[in-house]
Amino acid sequence: MNSLRQFIALLAMSLAGVPQRLGSVLTIIIGVACAVGVLVSMLAMGTGARNQEQANVSADGVVLSSVGSRPFSSSVPREEAAVIRDMPGIRRGSDGEPIVAFESLVGMEGRRRVTGTRVFFPLVGISESVLQYRPEMHFTSGRMFQRGLRELIASNTCVRQFSGFGIGERRSLPGGDWTIVGHFDQGVGEQCTVYADVDIVMSTFARNAYSIVSVLLRSPSDYDAFRAAVQANPTLHLEAKHEKEVVQDAFKQLNGLLDFVSYFVGTIMAIGATLGAVNSLYSIVDARRRELATLRAIGFGSGAIVASILCESVLLALPGALLGAGLAWALFNGLSVSPFGYSFQLEVTRSLALTGVVWALAMGLFGGLFPALRAARVPVTTALRAT
Amino acid sequence: MRFLPLIWSGIWRKPGRTILMFLQISVAFALFGVLQGVKSGVEHLVAAARADLLIVHTRANFIFSPLPLGLLEPIRSVAGVKLVVPVELSGGTYQKPDQQVGIVAVSPEGDWLSAFTFMVAPEYDAALRNTRTGALVPEELAKKYGWKIGDHIPLMTRTTQVNGSTTWEFDVVGTFDDSDIGGGRDKILINFSYYNEARKAGKNTVNHFNVAVSDPRLAVSVADEIDRRFANSSNETKSESLRELAQLQLQSIGDLNFLIRAIVGAVLVALLFATSTMMMQSIRERTAELAVLKTLGFTDRAVFLLILAEAAAVCVAAAALGLALALLAFPFAARFVLGISMPAVVIEIGLASAVFVALVSAGVPAILAARLRVAEALASR
Repeated sequence: MNSLRQFIALLAMSLAGVPQRLGSVLTIIIGVACAVGVLVSMLAMGTGARNQEQANVSADGVVLSSVGSRPFSSSVPREEAAVIRDMPGIRRGSDGEPIVAFESLVGMEGRRRVTGTRVFFPLVGISESVLQYRPEMHFTSGRMFQRGLRELIASNTCVRQFSGFGIGERRSLPGGDWTIVGHFDQGVGEQCTVYADVDIVMSTFARNAYSIVSVLLRSPSDYDAFRAAVQANPTLHLEAKHEKEVVQDAFKQLNGLLDFVSYFVGTIMAIGATLGAVNSLYSIVDARRRELATLRAIGFGSGAIVASILCESVLLALPGALLGAGLAWALFNGLSVSPFGYSFQLEVTRSLALTGVVWALAMGLFGGLFPALRAARVPVTTALRAT
Repeated sequence: MRFLPLIWSGIWRKPGRTILMFLQISVAFALFGVLQGVKSGVEHLVAAARADLLIVHTRANFIFSPLPLGLLEPIRSVAGVKLVVPVELSGGTYQKPDQQVGIVAVSPEGDWLSAFTFMVAPEYDAALRNTRTGALVPEELAKKYGWKIGDHIPLMTRTTQVNGSTTWEFDVVGTFDDSDIGGGRDKILINFSYYNEARKAGKNTVNHFNVAVSDPRLAVSVADEIDRRFANSSNETKSESLRELAQLQLQSIGDLNFLIRAIVGAVLVALLFATSTMMMQSIRERTAELAVLKTLGFTDRAVFLLILAEAAAVCVAAAALGLALALLAFPFAARFVLGISMPAVVIEIGLASAVFVALVSAGVPAILAARLRVAEALASR
């Protein structure tokens, strides 16, 4: 109880002295604010990207591709694709047919509305069953493409981001002009998606194999049986994966890059801020040497002194963390970026702000440790004699 | 010169504080070096890409849509065109589905290498010309898969041959190197004539033409002239230099420039604040010592310079250490950008920034020190 009262008295004394040591105090706050601000904004990119990637993934979705390949390099022969329809566990649509979407991926080029720069994204040739495979997809204007015609439908994101996607606009592609006939929304997902009839895409590009086949299972628990059935079938040279897994694979590099950059930069800045805090606290402790020695001489314990300085350090780091997280939110939340051809928005979430605060606490604790120990260790007589 | 010991002792007046500040500055400049290195490195890559080498591909906005081989002569007849080489791209896998290899079919005729960024030894060039099924492979790839000259390498592709097979076999006849960043590293060079004859579909079409221009300054007008020639035909073209393509490829990283600027800004602000406070503190503590120096005959100017020199010495030395660390860490941190290296200009910018930080943070304390009145300073003791 006694040392608790000592601690409170010491802390009050420290905080009362803050205005006199404004320089050192601001150094700690601004250093921590910069480190936390940068860390939180960088992590916000990763969070935004992850949420965007996984936005439309369905838990029952399974993607089949040729063994060991990525969607763009995969090839599923028509004969094998036909077998998939009879596999067990596939959900049936309102028409009683299994929900299986055959896809053929080709590259396509677009131009950004504002800057006019070129961007590449996939044109997905897909069977009409996509409407059942993705029930969240709904048309906001126009209609579905017709089988056998050179028609394209685009998500509203494409219309916002790229020029030449208005209804009725023609895009000059191989095989003549392809007309945009519909715009759709796809739930929460914000990626630009362009669909066309899979058969016309394959005949235009002289392909005789699909890229991938997506199926919707009755429930996630059917996955193991389905996968086993695919493996057991000697005519199939395919592997089945959860849609979630495939999407994660596709974005692994981007996520890895964003995580690496976030923590690399964040750690370095945190080290810098901690060093700054150590230096500032040393000078605060030095300035208070006689005061602290006097307190010890009249009976204040070392433990209370160490605790009060650690606490002061943490209390100074906290406003820095809040300032940093606040700045990150004010400047970057909702900002659209498109590094490496992926588009997503930065999301400064509460949990990220909390991460920032935790880092700041760590910076405060580490920064305060050695100065606090020094304050408690200096021999009383030496300190009192010092000028 | 004779003030050096004085500066030195000033720096080490409080060793703990100096070492901490030194480390803080080093850390800040290590981060600065890596980030600025990536930014400048990307700009450097774009500037280094050849502007006199045009790629003529189809205007249709699908990737990999073919152009007829017959465009070769009309392109060659455009004034300013030195050389035209047809290029067909495809791809396959070696042994395992995830071991992908790009296949670049070219016509190795005349001075063909001047229209590419490849480096090929003369004997390997000759070997490719003389071996119909020959292939040149990058040394790294040869090492990766254990390929040696004389080996037959089968590649599984999606291209059907006249004989019905989709497995193509090539003979390794030599190695090559590519100075360009686009297109990836895992690719082999083969003869277009062989590939064209052996494939079943798509005969006499190519992915693009590589065009070498006689004068780099004419590159833009030559590109425009080629595109004008095929305007409104069934094969509209789009001609771009390698530099334009590099810009396109790297602009996505360029989107991160604002972020890099923001971080570097935050680092410098935090650093300036920390160093200014420390310098201020240091001068306050040394009031008496500085007054003694002045009593001994040091002019105001000398004291001013003394303080600045102290700050500059610490900042520049710490920045140098930080930038050296950045050089070490750079290959690790920038491994996501193919072919990037840290340009020397980053070191220059870094050291200049260090001087800037020193001048700004020590400026006010140095002025205070210079204005110090001996009598007042000593009286306040």
